[in-house]
Amino acid sequence: MTSHFLHMLVYSTLVSAFFALLLRNGKREQLRLGAVLWLSMVGGALVLAWLMFPFPR
Amino acid sequence: MPDDAASTGKTAAAIALGWVVPGLGHVVLGRLRQGLLFAAIIWGAFGLGLAYDGRLALRDHRQPLLTTLQVIANLGVGPADVAARLAVYGEPAYSMTRGAGAREDPHRAEIFRARERTGGANYGTAYLWTAGLMNLLLLFDVWDIARGRRPLP
Repeated sequence: MTSHFLHMLVYSTLVSAFFALLLRNGKREQLRLGAVLWLSMVGGALVLAWLMFPFPR
Repeated sequence: MPDDAASTGKTAAAIALGWVVPGLGHVVLGRLRQGLLFAAIIWGAFGLGLAYDGRLALRDHRQPLLTTLQVIANLGVGPADVAARLAVYGEPAYSMTRGAGAREDPHRAEIFRARERTGGANYGTAYLWTAGLMNLLLLFDVWDIARGRRPLP
């Protein structure tokens, strides 16, 4: 697997699952925090990438 | 101390076991589901880290603070880190130099740099260090559970 995007998805999944399990009790709360963290990481990275797109390397 | 707090001996044992085998500290304290899920996450990250030639950090006297922190992050997963170093370096190497000398060991340095040059090494390093740091965080959680500060819902 050499895709940056896939690594980002895998990494975000591992980290959000970990913190959801660590910081919340109960499946419902864990799923909610996990989803918020995952969307924040993936969405934040995509927004940042989009903002940086016009700038030359 | 809360009524459901574990004894000092059991607390120490749970923390030690949690470091030796990620997730086992929670299992010892009766949180089987949590322990298994934590184990799957940490072993998954550690396995991906090794598969992508992540950096098994070596302490370097030219950057002592940074490289020491990297070694600590690696060591978070417990003896699995030693086993990984045995497989990669052929010895449990934790320093770029051998013994008290200041010159870097050419064998270790060559392996270290060859792994860094592979395509996925940066990803692998992120996975390895994250696995170690997550397990170190888990040890604090084990402490809190053992002290009765994390009741089940």
